[in-house]
Order: sequence, then C-alpha cells, then structure tokens
Amino acid sequence: MASNFLAGQDVGIVAYGETKIERRSGRTPYEFAAETFEEILTKAGLQPGDIDGFATNVTHSESSNQYYTPYLCDYLGVTPRWMDISDHGGGSALAGVSRAALAIQAGMCELAVVLCADAPSTSWKAANGGYRVEFWDPTGIQGPPGGFGLLMNRYMTQYDLKPEALGKLAVAQREGAVLNENAYEKFRKPITVDDYLESRVISTPVRLLDCVMFADGAAGVLLTSRERAKKLSAQNVIFPSAYSEIVNFDCAEQIPDITETGFSVVGPEVLEKAGMSPGDVRMFHPYDDFLIAELMQIEQTGWCARGEGSDFLLETDVSFRGTLPINTGGGQISAGQIGLASGMTNLVEAVRQMRGEAGERQVKDPANALVTGIGVITYGRSWKVSNAMTLEH
Amino acid sequence: MAENRKQRAIPISTKTTQPFWDGIEAGKLMLQYDPDENVYQFYPRAGSVKTGRRNLVWREASGVGTIYSFTETYVPIAGFEERTPYLLAMVELEEGVRILANLINVSAATISVGMPVKVAFETITDEQDYFCFEPA
Repeated sequence: MASNFLAGQDVGIVAYGETKIERRSGRTPYEFAAETFEEILTKAGLQPGDIDGFATNVTHSESSNQYYTPYLCDYLGVTPRWMDISDHGGGSALAGVSRAALAIQAGMCELAVVLCADAPSTSWKAANGGYRVEFWDPTGIQGPPGGFGLLMNRYMTQYDLKPEALGKLAVAQREGAVLNENAYEKFRKPITVDDYLESRVISTPVRLLDCVMFADGAAGVLLTSRERAKKLSAQNVIFPSAYSEIVNFDCAEQIPDITETGFSVVGPEVLEKAGMSPGDVRMFHPYDDFLIAELMQIEQTGWCARGEGSDFLLETDVSFRGTLPINTGGGQISAGQIGLASGMTNLVEAVRQMRGEAGERQVKDPANALVTGIGVITYGRSWKVSNAMTLEH
Repeated sequence: MAENRKQRAIPISTKTTQPFWDGIEAGKLMLQYDPDENVYQFYPRAGSVKTGRRNLVWREASGVGTIYSFTETYVPIAGFEERTPYLLAMVELEEGVRILANLINVSAATISVGMPVKVAFETITDEQDYFCFEPA
C-alpha cells in the first residue's frame, strides 16, 4: 500500500462555494466559476491576488480550448504559481484536491483553489477519439446509460439485484435534494419507490431514475496549510486524511469479471490509510452517475459482501437521519450532474455537513466522511477512474 | 455536433486497425494475437497490453462466442432511430476476448446471457460494412 501523504492532516479545506445547479443556463463555465470563486473569497476574506494555487477539471463545454486553465485563471484575476487540470472525469474534484494538498506540502503554493465548473447542458464541445471512433460510436451504444446497461445486466446475472433497494436509495437522495436550495429546481419534489420502478427504460435494465442528467454549475474549495489556516483565523477546518486512486483497473485482462471495479482496491485501501473500518464512516458521499454504481461501491468498499448490496440498502437508513447517510444533498442523481465538475458536488456536500451548515438536512454526527469519484465509462467493463478520500475534523 | 449527425457513425480506420477493416470487408473477423503471451486482445492497438511489444500478429477468429451481457436501447443514438429498440451485447469470443456489437435476427425476449452467437455483417454505407452477431 502506498504511504499516506495526508496522514499528518497538515492541509485543510478552509472554505467552499457552490452555485445553484441549472439546466440550459446559457452561461459559460467561466461565469459559473466566477460565482463560486466570489463565494470562496468572501468566506475566506481574500482577494484574487492572494490565491497562488489553482486546479480545475477538463470540461465538456470548453474542451476544445487547449489552454483552458490559464484562460480561467485570467478571467478570475488569479496568478497561480502552481496550476493543474485534471482529466479524471468525475474523479477530477478529488484528484484536484489531492494534488493541491501535495503542492501545498511541497511549498509550490500556499492558498490553492480547486474550482470545478462545467456547462454541458448549454454547450457540448467534447470529441473523444481512441477506440470510440471505430469500436464504440458505430455500435449505437447509448453512452453511459448503454455502458451501465451492460454492467448492470451482468451484475444481475451474477448477483441478486433488488430494484426496490435502488428505489429506496433514489427516494432518500431525492429527499435531500428537496431540502437543498442548490439542487436543480425541477428535481426538488419528492419521489416514491414506485416512481423509480415505473420510470421509463433508457437502455435495459437502466431506467430514467437510475441516471444523472447533465446540468450546468460550479463548486469548489480553498485549501491551505494548518499554519496558514490559523493565520486566516479559519474556523471549522476540514482535513482530507487519506486518498487513493486507481485508473484502468485490471485493464490488461481481456475477460475480467466486469462487476469488480477499481473500488475493490481504493475503497478498502483509503479506509485502511485513515485507520477506519466501514463501520466508522459517519457519512458516505459516493460518486453517483448511476444508482448501481453506488451499490457496487458499498459492496467493494466493504460495508457488505459482493452481491449483498441490495439487502444492505434495504436494511440501512441512508437518509440524512440514518445510520449511514448517503449523498445527503441529493447527490448528482437528484441535484443534477454539472458535467465533469460533478465530483465536487459530492465533496462540497460532505464539507458542508461536517461544518454543520446543511440546515434542515443536517446529519447528527458528521464527524467524518468518505467521498468518491468515478471517471469515464470504458470499453467492455465498468469505468476507468476510481478515487476516494476521507475527511476528518 | 452530435445532434446534427443523423447517420450512424462510420468507423475511421488507422494504419494499425486497417487489417481489421480489410477483414470485415472480406467477411472475416480478424483479431490481434500476442505470440509472447499466447493471448488475443481486443480492441486493436499498436502494442500488446501484456508486454508493450509491437509484435502482434493478425489471425482470423472463429467468429463464435457467447453473450456475456446485453442491453436493449430505447433512446436511440443517431442512425439507430428506425431499428429502435435495438440490442447491443458484449460477446465473449472463444479466442478469449470480448467485443461490443449489435445483435441481429433475435429479440430481447429470446436472448440470454451465455447464449451462443456467431459473427454477422451489416452494411452501414455502400463502402462500409460493420460487424454484428446473431444466434449461432
């Protein structure tokens, strides 16, 4: 196991920001980023010129710009001495935070903003090459719902998947979105398990309410060293305490069990680094592009055995009131997926809960959190990027 | 922009993948074989994912295998509107690779994981055929 560069908890999150999630906003990622940046600066009492580290994500909406991060920093008035962009897809937020922590530890910068923004429901400029051109697009695969249709059907072949368990998770997350002012407004009405079960099929067995919907928005965090946080008089600092990532799990195997994902590695590993067992985790904020992905993460992180995720969900209260609150702000499935910035939605909700600022959906004991990221559907298996981070006080 | 494309996507070959498409045109399914590891690999690449060596050789595959997983799609991608709902499968070939392809001459009601299938070919344009699978 790799050493834990976050074990000393010497770099913390001192502020966060998040826009309301919109559909077809007509706004650019620059504009959404500016809104989140203003919130972070205001909370931290800083000016743009104080920020010397900056990381963001590759986007769907501005991906034809090969110089996106310098353009974005220029737009915001930031002169970084350390700059980074992540193409970990939905894992970009955690990847950015992990690398910002390393940059601060290494002395490359002191005040690093990890600001994720995207607006894919307004502008779509992505054009993926590689195998997609020859062996993916011509098959008519319905993008992520098609890929997850194949994955979910295989899971159902090997294990007992109970649709009502996924329905229960969908209902719990929707309850969080109803109480989350930043969630996409049309999603802020309750649903029932029957609504889930009766939602139309996109690509069997994936239903509409299994899936995220593309939306526009931004969210971000400000990190600095423990010492600098004291000088800023920052209160309620949240410390990343362990991080693991794996990309292209098992990719040289030609006929692997595709229901085994990178989380079978990073899930147990990140908890071991943090000195936790699954039972110690007070909140879980898993990347939720599809409900089945959350169930698989629950199993592979170790809350239950493989194939027992349905029973675990049916036996566990995963609402914000429950014993294992999951994606208390609605997650992406019920708040909207802000493109490749979306991993920050899960992370910011975890930080907000740990700071006791989640209002009506506040969990009682937000002592720690596990947050995860997933990036990009891959050929003939699950997904390419799996990453996970623990947060502590 | 994807929404302007009404036709099914046409594969654009590279120097590395051209033998695969030459095979399709001749009604053959060609696979890359790694002589060092005695394994096949798919999709085609310039080098072996096991050894990194660029010593792969093309061999004609049997074209038979079984369904590893499948999905029936109700919201079509451009070019698939008229055949919606349509079936897509991960087929595990007897050479030990999996390949993503449409299933034809079969309905969702009669297929299952593990079912034997064999390669078939369909026309995308006058110049371009594409591989698919049908019940064996």
